[in-house]
Amino acid sequence: MNLKELKEIIDIVTSNESIEELEIEKSGVRLRIRRSSNHVTSVSTVPVASIAASPAISATPVPPKAVVETEELFYIKSPIVGTFYTGPSPDSESFVSVGDMVEKGSVLCIIEAMKLMNEIESEVAGEIVSVLVDNGQPVEYGEKLFAIRPR
Amino acid sequence: MFRKILVANRGEIALRIIYACKELGIKTVAVFSEADRHALHVRFADEAICIGPPKSSDSYLNIPNIISTAELSNVDAIHPGYGFLSESAYFAEVCEASRIKFIGPSSEAIRLMGDKARARSEMNRLGLPVLPGSADSIHTDKEAIATAEAIGYPVIIKAVAGGGGRGMRIVHGRNELLLALKTAQAEAASAFGAPHCYIEKYIERARHIEFQVMADEHGNAIHLGERECSIQRRHQKLIEESPSVIMTPELRAEVGNRVVQAIKKTGYSNVGTLEFLVDEKKQFYFMEMNTRIQVEHPVTELVTGIDLIRDQILIAAGDSLPHRQEDIQFRGHALECRINAEDPVTHKPSPGKITSWYSPGGPGVRVDTAAYAEYVVPPHYDSLIAKLIVHGATRDEAIRRMDRALEMFVLEGIKCTIPLHRQILHNSAFRKGNIHTRFLEQLQEPRVRAVEMA
Repeated sequence: MNLKELKEIIDIVTSNESIEELEIEKSGVRLRIRRSSNHVTSVSTVPVASIAASPAISATPVPPKAVVETEELFYIKSPIVGTFYTGPSPDSESFVSVGDMVEKGSVLCIIEAMKLMNEIESEVAGEIVSVLVDNGQPVEYGEKLFAIRPR
Repeated sequence: MFRKILVANRGEIALRIIYACKELGIKTVAVFSEADRHALHVRFADEAICIGPPKSSDSYLNIPNIISTAELSNVDAIHPGYGFLSESAYFAEVCEASRIKFIGPSSEAIRLMGDKARARSEMNRLGLPVLPGSADSIHTDKEAIATAEAIGYPVIIKAVAGGGGRGMRIVHGRNELLLALKTAQAEAASAFGAPHCYIEKYIERARHIEFQVMADEHGNAIHLGERECSIQRRHQKLIEESPSVIMTPELRAEVGNRVVQAIKKTGYSNVGTLEFLVDEKKQFYFMEMNTRIQVEHPVTELVTGIDLIRDQILIAAGDSLPHRQEDIQFRGHALECRINAEDPVTHKPSPGKITSWYSPGGPGVRVDTAAYAEYVVPPHYDSLIAKLIVHGATRDEAIRRMDRALEMFVLEGIKCTIPLHRQILHNSAFRKGNIHTRFLEQLQEPRVRAVEMA
């Protein structure tokens, strides 16, 4: 779903007063639009998987721009438990920064576990949209490390 | 004393360890697989870290991830519970090398007792009788035939690395021997990664009686009496009780004393259990030693009033034994029923969502569980969902208490062993204490056949 499609859906809801509430679920994204005194007041979309886990999130309206991005992003997750490092040593530069283009197989970070430095490689080619963990922080199995917009 | 402990387990035992830590004022770190995100040990620990996908080998058995978690969360000790890594000498060794206290015996003690054939000959040397059998693992067909003939049939084939009934075969005559040996070896190879098996005398109507021991790191040791675990299916315990109906104070003191002397000589520390087969003449034969806390430990806790998990932690922290042998008293009778998520007749696992749940209470009733209404029993782990434990002044009172507690236990949505427990409790032979390790097999034989024919 892109911005254009989202706008079209909102237009349909606002132009037809018989629609009180609309809920669409498509490829892992759930969209709910509810009418209140003839205005669309709440547009909230969150990945379906997180609805059950944290109902509080679905109550918070999310700007449509961010939503559209969320849906297209690929997340690099930690394969092990360890400490996250953005660069090869404390005083060296980060492997990657927000805005960098990376290839599949590019080294993104290091996770240290039991005194071993494990290089984590990108599973996709694309642009780094965000770095989700601070340098030196512990990470658990499956924790999201980077958001990448695939090319 | 420890400040923070990592609980390297899941389910009811992880919660049980968290209870003890909270009461001791120790912080806890839970580890969990992706299948256990909504588990109670995750909720009640002070910290929780995901260590892998649902499969045990990638999560609860993942030593690098568990040690990393221990280092990151800065714990002083790891409690392994039972199952998973609790009897891994290698894991205990990694903990020792990482300067994290493994709450259990030394890696050498685990390694010695983990080799069932070596443990048998060592304990025999230290004064515990063992069943006649091959001193070591059997390598050739000729060796197997000669050993079985020398002992006399029936014999039982057991995996050296064994446990949980896998790699075990009962053989009644020479014509069955070689095929049974091959099957047992194949089963042992796939279950434990080592095909080695040994042969020993098989007793037809044996009781399974075990002694709980506790030893500190300063050479002191005591026993906490026995538990009888003769009600088993496929060598897995279903009902445990203490005391055993055949026990007298004199016999308990005699066997207990031998056990304590033997483990003192091995330099064992922390809690442990020595399992015996007992024949109809009340002869005790040592089978194996479990170097960890056991599922059925609450039975001992109820008759002695001692908190075994708490003491395990104190001993691991270097404390001297908190009890002297002469202070240990055995009061009344305790029974435990294991409520498993499985079909009560066929014993097939029954994972899924618990739609309705009420666990009974009242005088003398204890429920150790990590289940709750709407909880989904994952298919990846063992089927134990609750332990119902009761205490009464006499065996008869304990049985009646257990029966009413089972009647009032509401567990809907999945199949479980509650109906089977009630059937056993109503059996007149069980009520008289006339039990042996094949009791359940004989009780269920006609019913299983009826189900298969239908």
